[in-house]
Amino acid sequence: MGHADQDRQPVNNDGLSSDDEPWSDSDEGSLSFDDSGSDDPDEDEAAAGESDSSEDEVGPRNTVGQVPLEWYKDEEHIGYDIDGRKIKKRDREGRIEQYLRNADDAKNWRKIYDVYNDEEVQITKDEAKIISRLLKGKTPHANVDPYPDYVDWFEYDGEGHPLSNAPEPKRRFVPSKWEQKKVVKLVRAIRNGWIKFDKPKEEPNYYLLWGDETDTADNKREGLSYIPAPKPNLPGHEESYNPSVEYIPTQEEIDSYQLMYEEDRPKFIPRRFESLRSVPAYEKALREGFDRCLDLYLCPRTHKKRINVDPESLKPKLPSKKDLRPYPRTCYLEFKGHNGPVKSLSVEATGQWIASGSSDGTIRVWEVETGRCLKVLNVGADVHAIAWNPSPERPILAAIVGHDLLLLDADVGDEETKMRTKELLCVDEPTPEDDADGKKPAVRWVKHEKFDGITLIHHKLSKKRSHHPFRKLPGLPVAATFHPTQKMFFVATKKFVQVYDLQKAEVVKKLESGVREISSISIHPGGDNVIVGSKDGKLCWFDTDLSTKPYKTLKTHKKDITSVTFHRRYPLFASSSEDCTAYVFHGMVYSDLNQNPLIVPLEILRGHLSIDRRGVLDCKFHPRQPWLFTAGADSVIRLYCE
Amino acid sequence: MPKHYRPAGKKKEGNAAKYITRTKAVSYLQISLAVFRKLCILKGVFPREPKKKVEGNHKTYYHMKDIAFLAHDPLIEKFREIKVHRKKVKKAIAKKNRDLADRLLNRPPTYKLDRLIIERYPTFVDALRDLDDCLTMVHLFAALPAVEGERVQVQRIHNCRRLSHEWQAYISRTNALRKTFISVKGIYYQAEVQGQKITWLTPHALQQVLTDDVDFNVMLTFLEFYETLLGFINFKLYHSINVNYPPILDPRLEALAAELYALSRYMSSGRLPGNPETNGLIKDKETENNEEGSKTVESELRLAQLQHQLPANEPGTLMHLVEESTADDTEDSTVKECRSLFKNLKFYLSREVPRESLLFIIPAFGGTVSWEGEGAPFDETDQDITHQIVDRPTQSHVFLSREYVQPQWVFDCVNNCIVLPTEYYVVGRVPPPHLSPFVDNDEVGYTPEFEEKILKRLRAASKDKVLPLPGLGDEDQDNSMVDARSEYNEVAEKKRKLDMLEKQYHEELKMEIEGETFSSLANKKGDNPTHAVDNDAHAANDQVDDLVEQAKKDEAEMSKSFVSNKTEGLIRAIEINKERKRSNVELLKERKRKASSSASAKRK
Repeated sequence: MGHADQDRQPVNNDGLSSDDEPWSDSDEGSLSFDDSGSDDPDEDEAAAGESDSSEDEVGPRNTVGQVPLEWYKDEEHIGYDIDGRKIKKRDREGRIEQYLRNADDAKNWRKIYDVYNDEEVQITKDEAKIISRLLKGKTPHANVDPYPDYVDWFEYDGEGHPLSNAPEPKRRFVPSKWEQKKVVKLVRAIRNGWIKFDKPKEEPNYYLLWGDETDTADNKREGLSYIPAPKPNLPGHEESYNPSVEYIPTQEEIDSYQLMYEEDRPKFIPRRFESLRSVPAYEKALREGFDRCLDLYLCPRTHKKRINVDPESLKPKLPSKKDLRPYPRTCYLEFKGHNGPVKSLSVEATGQWIASGSSDGTIRVWEVETGRCLKVLNVGADVHAIAWNPSPERPILAAIVGHDLLLLDADVGDEETKMRTKELLCVDEPTPEDDADGKKPAVRWVKHEKFDGITLIHHKLSKKRSHHPFRKLPGLPVAATFHPTQKMFFVATKKFVQVYDLQKAEVVKKLESGVREISSISIHPGGDNVIVGSKDGKLCWFDTDLSTKPYKTLKTHKKDITSVTFHRRYPLFASSSEDCTAYVFHGMVYSDLNQNPLIVPLEILRGHLSIDRRGVLDCKFHPRQPWLFTAGADSVIRLYCE
Repeated sequence: MPKHYRPAGKKKEGNAAKYITRTKAVSYLQISLAVFRKLCILKGVFPREPKKKVEGNHKTYYHMKDIAFLAHDPLIEKFREIKVHRKKVKKAIAKKNRDLADRLLNRPPTYKLDRLIIERYPTFVDALRDLDDCLTMVHLFAALPAVEGERVQVQRIHNCRRLSHEWQAYISRTNALRKTFISVKGIYYQAEVQGQKITWLTPHALQQVLTDDVDFNVMLTFLEFYETLLGFINFKLYHSINVNYPPILDPRLEALAAELYALSRYMSSGRLPGNPETNGLIKDKETENNEEGSKTVESELRLAQLQHQLPANEPGTLMHLVEESTADDTEDSTVKECRSLFKNLKFYLSREVPRESLLFIIPAFGGTVSWEGEGAPFDETDQDITHQIVDRPTQSHVFLSREYVQPQWVFDCVNNCIVLPTEYYVVGRVPPPHLSPFVDNDEVGYTPEFEEKILKRLRAASKDKVLPLPGLGDEDQDNSMVDARSEYNEVAEKKRKLDMLEKQYHEELKMEIEGETFSSLANKKGDNPTHAVDNDAHAANDQVDDLVEQAKKDEAEMSKSFVSNKTEGLIRAIEINKERKRSNVELLKERKRKASSSASAKRK
């Protein structure tokens, strides 16, 4: 409580001393309670005694107390005075009187009727003023300043005693724990170099990065091999701002670019500017730079061998053709006479005659040297295939006509042979001569598969009977041939070549050609190599000792290969095709097993015409000379010689 | 790969272990794709093509070693630091901790790329080899508008400008520029520095527009590396000619945007003997040279000793030395040629001419040059000016002592290495076609008319050389052709004889039928056969030609049947390519023909 005393004391002191100055300053207009009191002594009393004191002064005439006046509504009196006498109600003034009084008395507006006491009270002017201020919501006295400036009466300096008597708290003497923590943090940060005060040293941006380059071992790039990015293409003439006229495409050409695929479309269309000042900024510059960036970091890089070579050097080096002579090169003779495509031809064993069968239903026998037609045999139907007896003593022709196999007397040679053949063909039963002759030549002589291809009938002429060696074949048989020396038989179906042993009557080997459809087959006179022609223009060379897969596949012809054939003496083989050409190859087979056969294409023989989209239908070598006979669909047989 | 348990026998091997897809690489390195990209660009790591794409065909594969190479790089840690720093700043700002944010912003983590450069280009020549893209990029950015608030910072553009000018100043100073070409895309320059041909493209001196279709992040990352690289290369080059780097330029000239000129002045002044520092450098150099010289003497001695030990018939290695020295001589001669091309010529550039490129080119070939504007070394009225380069339709005031040429003249002179006659390039005239010096016309198979008719002749005349006659070089081919021809001649001869015989035979037969006597026949023979033979000879000649052609074709076809599928495809591709080239040339010839015919029609 002592504290409160201290507070009050100076207030009193101060109040006395400073009393005069502020209050004397205030002028007349700014009224205070004291001021108004000094002006009017009555009012002063009232103000000093406050509002209830004035009520005491006047004293209510009526003593009924605070009861509702309704209770006295019907009474003559309104209450009782202090002595207990009834206070009579006064008569009410009329309106006119009221009005007149109002008009007479200027102070009348200050008179208020007191219902409780039943009398009129006149209020003073000041009271009226106060009332009007109160009605306005202001302070009752006009002189009151509601927001006075705060005056701090307390003098702080020079006081010997504290305001509070409380002892100083401990925290005033002890350094702050939190501050210390913070400082420690900062100190540590500074010590550890997390906070640095000196500016970082300006190091030189550039220096001699590549010092001496003599030490090459050090100057090797580490890691994987670096593949440098290909340099951008250098600009050509067309990129010039002023190219020659020929580099500027015409409007039609530019329009035609729209029809191209986007990747084919030229990316840059040359333009021509008359002078350097008219060249605008290149609008795709940024884009192209960006594309280059993308190429550099997004494109996978590989080492690619770019072959900038002559395509000729990629082709294998073939031995000179001159060393491989002789081989047929030019057309020497034409055998004309047939009226339809010559389907097949065969050369007699001595090489003196050839026989040809055509689809005009005739078989013709020609003399090779002169080109003379010796004989015309009319067989009345298509001749599919024709073959001579390989033995020169008996010039017999076998021909497949329609569905029949005909054996014909060729009627060539000297009288003796003619006689013999006639004899042979006349006899129905097997003759002793035939047996003496041996079966083999006869067997080897004729071969054919029936054209409807259901069965392959093996004709054995000497016994005048046939037998069916293959009951089961993988597909339709297409071509067949005999082994030149052994008792073997090769049958080509569409995809495979089956090698069949005639004595054991079983399949020995199966060659896989890998072509789409085999059309013809031929055997090397040595017997170990087979060539197969296919309908997709491929020619396969099999080395039967080596493997069952082709040793070499040659893609030569554009159309079907119709026939392939080996030469019996020379290392030659040929293929003929529907594209009107015949190819001659050099095919050398070495006796040394380690050496692979040498195959060299030698010549393309042309000359036949395409009739009905068919070209060369058959080709055969001369048995002794390096000559090739070709039978064409244009009903001509050609002889190609050296 | 991350090491984790793999069942026995399931260890990844081969391509699956060697290569990693991009997605996996990113997750392996524990970085974001953007950072990965940046790393790849800076480190020069690129995807590779595995032989077998284990994870699928449409993915990008990186070599595992490359990724390990990235993983070990300190840069990866630096990038993380930068990321963390950015987060810290953001946090500080969000917490209204202004001083912390300021303190952090004052010291952002930085990184340097010099280590990467030496790693990627261990020798200086390696760096020069890969400089093409760098120069093109820096020049491109130097041409971008230096405007605040754009996607590229102004400071970097200015840096690019500075670097490009420094480079050009060096090239110009050492006369290393070889070829120039004004293309629609800009101006191509080719220089030869330390035996490396460096080609770059500068955009035309017009400001580029920043387009939205490019990702500036990628480009700026590239630029970051290229700027550093070019800076170091410039340092090395300046060092090699004893000039301080970075150069301190005359601020007045710099302000006038004639930095290149300022640089060249700086360089020439840098060699003055008054400069003690450079003097010292030169001395150092000299001593070095001396040392090197003594070294070479020693090595030659060693070589000679070795020579004795070698068998006598071996071609000496000393020959190599001799060759090298001669090669050096020739190189010097080209430099000399370049230096003396515009010697004693004084150029003046008009206002409308692309100043920067000509200020670069002309001094590079030994000329002196001034321009219209402030800071120019001499003004238009100078009497010694020999050529004024103008690019306007007409020239009003003409000095008789000088020639007025279009800017293309300078470029064409440089490409042909001769001072061309100015008649084609006179003001107001449409200049002759500007041809690219980078095209090997023989390889393309088409030579533009201007080149063929005029430039070749002029070049030959300037060198006093006689052009070799065409077709002398391929004698062998001719011989073989002759061989083939003779062979076929033989065949044809035979055939002709046969034909003749047959004809004769037929005629005789006919005559026999007709019953003519031998005497009249003889008469007839007298006049007829010569004629017939003549005709025949003609026909036969044609036939021979046909035959030869046919035989060639046949041969090609036949040998084709022997090649494997792969080679055949290759041959076909080559042939298609050749065919395309040929068709292009045909197209050009066709257009040329049309143009010339229409021109002649107009003239009429």
